[in-house]
Amino acid sequence: MGLWNRERTEDLGGSGSGERKWKPDGRPESGDKGQEESGVGTDWAERLQALWKMGLSRSRKLPEYITENVSEELIQLEDLVKVYDTGALKVLGLKRINLTIHRGEFVAIMGQSGSGKSTLMNILGCLDRPSMGHYYLDGVDVAAMNPDELSLIRNRKIGFVFQSFNLISRTSALKNVELPMTYARKGKRFREQRARTLLERVGLGKRAEHMPNELSGGQRQRVAIARALANDPPLLLADEPTGNLDTAASVEIMELFSQLHKEGTTVVVVTHEEEIAAFTERIIRFRDGEIVSDKPNVPREPEQKEAGPNEKGH
Amino acid sequence: MLIENMKMAFSAIRANKMRSFLTMLGIIIGIGSVISIVSIGDTMRSMFEGLYREIGVTQAYLFIGYWVDDVRQSDYFTLDEMERVKEVFGDQIAYIDSNSHASADAISGRTTVKFAFNGVDYNYQEVQPVNIVYGRYLNEGDVLGRRKNVVMDTTSAMNLFGVENAVGKTFRTTIYGTTEEYTVVGIYRKKLSPFQAMMMGANTEGGEAFLPYTILTWPNDYFYALRIFARDEATMDVFYNNVKAYVAKSKGRQPEDFRLNSAKDEMGQMDSIMGGLAAAVGGIAAISLLVGGIGIMNIMLVSVTERTREIGIRKSLGARTRDIMIQFLTESAILSACGGVVGILLGGGLVMIGGALLGVQAIVKPGVVLLAVGFSAMVGIFFGIYPASKAAKKDPIEALRYE
Amino acid sequence: MLIENMRMAFSAIRANKMRSFLTMLGIIIGIGSVISIVSIGDTMRSMFEELYRKIGITQAYIAIGYWVDDWRQSDYFTLDEMERIKEIFGDEIAYIDSDASTSGDAVCARTTVKFNYVGIDYNYQEVQPVNMVYGRFLNQGDILGRRKNVVMDTNSARNLFGAENAVGRTFRTTIYGSVDDYTVVGVYRKDLNPFQAMMLGASTEGGEAFLPYTILTWPNDYFYDIRIFARDEATMDVFFENLKNYVARSKERQPEDFRLVTAKAQMGEMDSMMGGLATAVGGIAAISLLVGGIGIMNIMLVSVTERTREIGIRKSLGARTRDIMVQFLTESAILSACGGILGIFLGGGIVLLGGRMLGVQAIVKPGVVVLAVGFSAMVGIFFGIYPASKAAKKDPIEALRYE
Repeated sequence: MGLWNRERTEDLGGSGSGERKWKPDGRPESGDKGQEESGVGTDWAERLQALWKMGLSRSRKLPEYITENVSEELIQLEDLVKVYDTGALKVLGLKRINLTIHRGEFVAIMGQSGSGKSTLMNILGCLDRPSMGHYYLDGVDVAAMNPDELSLIRNRKIGFVFQSFNLISRTSALKNVELPMTYARKGKRFREQRARTLLERVGLGKRAEHMPNELSGGQRQRVAIARALANDPPLLLADEPTGNLDTAASVEIMELFSQLHKEGTTVVVVTHEEEIAAFTERIIRFRDGEIVSDKPNVPREPEQKEAGPNEKGH
Repeated sequence: MLIENMKMAFSAIRANKMRSFLTMLGIIIGIGSVISIVSIGDTMRSMFEGLYREIGVTQAYLFIGYWVDDVRQSDYFTLDEMERVKEVFGDQIAYIDSNSHASADAISGRTTVKFAFNGVDYNYQEVQPVNIVYGRYLNEGDVLGRRKNVVMDTTSAMNLFGVENAVGKTFRTTIYGTTEEYTVVGIYRKKLSPFQAMMMGANTEGGEAFLPYTILTWPNDYFYALRIFARDEATMDVFYNNVKAYVAKSKGRQPEDFRLNSAKDEMGQMDSIMGGLAAAVGGIAAISLLVGGIGIMNIMLVSVTERTREIGIRKSLGARTRDIMIQFLTESAILSACGGVVGILLGGGLVMIGGALLGVQAIVKPGVVLLAVGFSAMVGIFFGIYPASKAAKKDPIEALRYE
Repeated sequence: MLIENMRMAFSAIRANKMRSFLTMLGIIIGIGSVISIVSIGDTMRSMFEELYRKIGITQAYIAIGYWVDDWRQSDYFTLDEMERIKEIFGDEIAYIDSDASTSGDAVCARTTVKFNYVGIDYNYQEVQPVNMVYGRFLNQGDILGRRKNVVMDTNSARNLFGAENAVGRTFRTTIYGSVDDYTVVGVYRKDLNPFQAMMLGASTEGGEAFLPYTILTWPNDYFYDIRIFARDEATMDVFFENLKNYVARSKERQPEDFRLVTAKAQMGEMDSMMGGLATAVGGIAAISLLVGGIGIMNIMLVSVTERTREIGIRKSLGARTRDIMVQFLTESAILSACGGILGIFLGGGIVLLGGRMLGVQAIVKPGVVVLAVGFSAMVGIFFGIYPASKAAKKDPIEALRYE
């Protein structure tokens, strides 16, 4: 968890545990009670002060499902089903998936196109909702959440890395990395500082002011990774992260993921390439919307001749 | 966040310069034309007010109503009655005369000029100051003695005598059938703006002269109207009502049988007509603002479609529906407000330049400017709502997949 | 090729329905507002023409000019003079009277109604036909015998007597100081539309009655003006000019000292004033058309950019610069012309609907409609030139490479 979130936790002083008792609107009952009590004062000044505090906290306060939960099972899927309604016929995208990914794992999800891995990716990324079943992310059932709550989850708990980088054009690398923090309402100085640190970490400290079209593919993907790390999310989701890169850049990116994994981040990579999956510690294979195998993997050792992430790409 | 949104909006506007300019141009033209029409209206109103102040806003004419069917000789006025009005109201009257005038050919040597003669009292200068450049104004002796002395302006003197300083010169004219010699005792210079000259019918060929009203109105004459200047503008309405009531009573009539034409009322009427006209025409000009707003909506819709992928990315990074909505609304509001500001500069500038060219003090009220900026931003927000909500509602998966 | 181009244009317009609609909407509103304003102007003009025809287009008043300073008693008219004019101009005069009117309270039992009395000759009905429903019009005997008989409209009769058929009933009124009993000999029905009633000041509470002009004008009276209806509209201008000359000569004055007010001239003034106003306001409404045109240009530029690849493909298949140019010009012209046609329906529809609601015959001239369609197509072509030439000039290799 990031430093900022921890501060909020102390502020609220709620009774949060890992229990799944949060209502979808995300307002913890205990918090409301606390405010009521502070508003009962007979003194008008006191009451006004309470109101003022309420107003202040309302803009900043986060639901406790964001601030409180630290679950050992980061991802837990129970009987997850996704049905696509294409008018005349219903297509079963995912058939009763049960899957658990623990904090700190480095997982590859493999499968041919149409195997259901993209559907799973969208659900894991909280971009889509399952038709049936439960998806507990960090102990919270996100299956019943509304779009704005899902936005908040994506913002705080998930970092995305896409095949086509998906940087915002005509916007500098620095601003791209700042974007998730902007949506998290972080202050300008904090944003810039952290964005620079993250770019430094992915080896692009000197390229902060460059526009996406001035960067190579590998560099763009490293900006995307820096952006994914912006709010210090527990889960990094990469969807074919090397699909648009040459071999050298692909290896660089995967080594960066390995390093992040070693530093404690949970990384899930969706891919159809065996060489990419070889970097991970667990490989889950999909076919026709079902898991066909789920095996641990011994990650391949970094080769000495490959360029490290701290050196320039192409 | 607001600043962040505005930065994003400006960068989006800059990214498509031509398109943004054309979109703004609609608002520029709309706001520009509304501002110019309203300002032209305000300028005209102030010009008319200036004109009425020039002729004396405390001035009024009192006469029997044209709606009265059985007009009697006693409904007209005599000099005795005028004197009595003077006595009764005393200090409240700044000036009073019989509103007499005549026009005739003035002849000096071989030059004949058509002159308009105004009969005035010696203290007329107190209510209608003129800038005497040669000689003197008419004095009490001229008026009481019915002396055939006149005061004219420099243009009239130039037309009749060929020189400005015509003091002491004489001319011959026929007033009410009798031909006599008149002597010029004073010359003044008129200071009128071109608009005032036009409205007050100053002619450049003919002439005008003041002469004692006692020459035009004899003791036994009946005359149609009393011309009065009130002393005090603040209380003039009450004063004139009293005068009307007094006159009506003295003539055995009802006050509503008399008509009181005050310059202030006329000015008020003119003002409200002009104000109404400016509002109506300004409203029609505002139709172009509506069309400009539709243009904003159209371009914002195009922009939303083009930036579908960007919307998807933002959503995947945690942007809520509201964040996207506000982003696009900010963009359309800025587009419109910028157009509004430029439109104000354009419209206001046109009116100012036009005013300078015509030698008129153009008026662009700050209130109108403020209203225009506010209105244009509102247009931007109003016509931005649909595209912005369309953007905000996009499904993130589909948006990310969009090519 | 033209048909092929139009087919392509329509399919492009259909491909982006919302965008095309909004683009058209600008033109629809622009053309709609111009059409409505011009048509409102035309309708008003025709209403005023009808109004003047109603009161008699050949009608005129002749009186001494208000600009004449030295009025003499001989400037007024007597009945003898009127008789002489009748003799001299004979057949050219359809009707002549002393334009006498007055007002007084008509009293019948306990009912008192304010009445306007108009003094007329027995043949007034020839120039101003009324629809007699009860009794008869005034006859020669009434006039010559100064009989106290009146004719009134149904509304006045109802107000005074509580019944429409008031023939034979009497009321008491004071005219010029003498109280007399007057007898109703006829009742007519007024046929006025609401606009005419408003303009002619028909009151719903008071009353109006015709009575012999000989009651209001005695042989030794001097009256201010003569009212005349000319026999022939075509030659009336010459006739009235002759009449003015005759009157001036008989009173030893210049013709320009007399004022002749003809209904036809007044109508002409009104007509040109309304025409001028409609043109000016229509011009201001046309600003929105300009803004709509800019919207077309903007959207066509977007469209050209989006279809860069299509342009490259067409060029690689042998399309010349001109072909591309014509393709995009056709599209913008059709967009604009469609908007223009819908705008005509909108504007014309509003005017016709409004006219129906107000009970007025609204006029939408075909000439204006044709002009509007032509103008909107021109707007489309004018504002389409820049985007079309931008499309036409694209380099085929770069265009094909464009993403």
